[in-house]
Amino acid sequence: MRSPRTLEVWRLGTVNYLKSLKIQDKLVSERKAHQIPDTLLSLEHPPTYTLGKRRTDHNLLIPQSELTKIGAELHYTQRGGDITFHGPHQAILYPIISLRSIGFGARNYVETLERSMIEFASMYGVKARPGNKCETGVWVGDRKIGAIGVRITSGITCHGLAFNIDPDLKYFEHIVPCGIADKEVTSLRRETDALLPSEEVIHKQLITCLANAFSYDDVVWKEDPSVILDTKDVE
Amino acid sequence: MALRLLWASRVASHLRISVAQRGFASAVLKDLKYADSHEWVKIEGNKATFGITDHAQDHLGDVVYVELPDVGLSVSQGKSFGAVESVKATSDINSPVSGTVVEVNKELSESPGLVNSSPYEQGWIVKVELSDAGEAEKLMDSDKYSKFCEEEDAKH
Repeated sequence: MRSPRTLEVWRLGTVNYLKSLKIQDKLVSERKAHQIPDTLLSLEHPPTYTLGKRRTDHNLLIPQSELTKIGAELHYTQRGGDITFHGPHQAILYPIISLRSIGFGARNYVETLERSMIEFASMYGVKARPGNKCETGVWVGDRKIGAIGVRITSGITCHGLAFNIDPDLKYFEHIVPCGIADKEVTSLRRETDALLPSEEVIHKQLITCLANAFSYDDVVWKEDPSVILDTKDVE
Repeated sequence: MALRLLWASRVASHLRISVAQRGFASAVLKDLKYADSHEWVKIEGNKATFGITDHAQDHLGDVVYVELPDVGLSVSQGKSFGAVESVKATSDINSPVSGTVVEVNKELSESPGLVNSSPYEQGWIVKVELSDAGEAEKLMDSDKYSKFCEEEDAKH
């Protein structure tokens, strides 16, 4: 008989990318030390391009000096995956969870993240599918709607997934998204005629799909984001 | 899976060791030691060779990149020294022993998939000179490791 599993959810609004990395580092340490349960951050970023551990900056198609002109930042990270864009109206989820507690490896974890997004898309009548080999992520036909890039240290996850609700897709023209040259990027707005509710509702739905996919017994919605956002360690 | 057991048996007979075969379980080789973060280590005198286990590579998916440490780096038992990337996930690899890196498997830069296809042979990652041979006592033998893997997999 296993003990009940709880997921604590923090909805943080728009968070600068580097700040979100510091928050995650702190949470990963705390999770590793069993000071907190599995935790999920739900947020958006201002326009930001990010690269993974392999530093595939040949997939950035404009000079770095041009980025400030288009109002975007660039960050190198330790996550897996290639180059991607994050921005307003793209829902980001960063699960900080212990894979060892559920006996998951990277493959199971990523497949479950994909399933979460596919389940969420189906709520709006959008038939999404997981990527083929080497194309991890969530697709509608040949158009990518959800991206994944994850880091696992001592069995604890950070980074996570990004689902396009209605971001400005023009930003993706400045990169070879995820290193895949001949495929489009799409969004929930583009793929469904359904009336979209507020983004707050949308984020909550996506979070619930993830919590279900990972079979959490309890979801605790933390009310005061300033607890995580304002601590001295993350300034 | 049958193919993997066949491969494991061939490796085993080449190395003249026996393989724990449990139907669909991943291959575990006797005469190696194992860490609970799924690295294996082969100790020969003051030198050790290590990599990740068959269980680990199966749970990772296809490895597309291996971050190798520099020769001369000090590694500590249980601490991260490098990483592998698979399915858009970078996973840290921990050192099962403490020592100094004397050789890394450069083949993995061109062929990271060797970690999947041959985790105990061509997919070896690092060779170290041990700083504390006694540390190996803290690692699991093949029977303990097999059981450990079964228990972990039963969690979901």
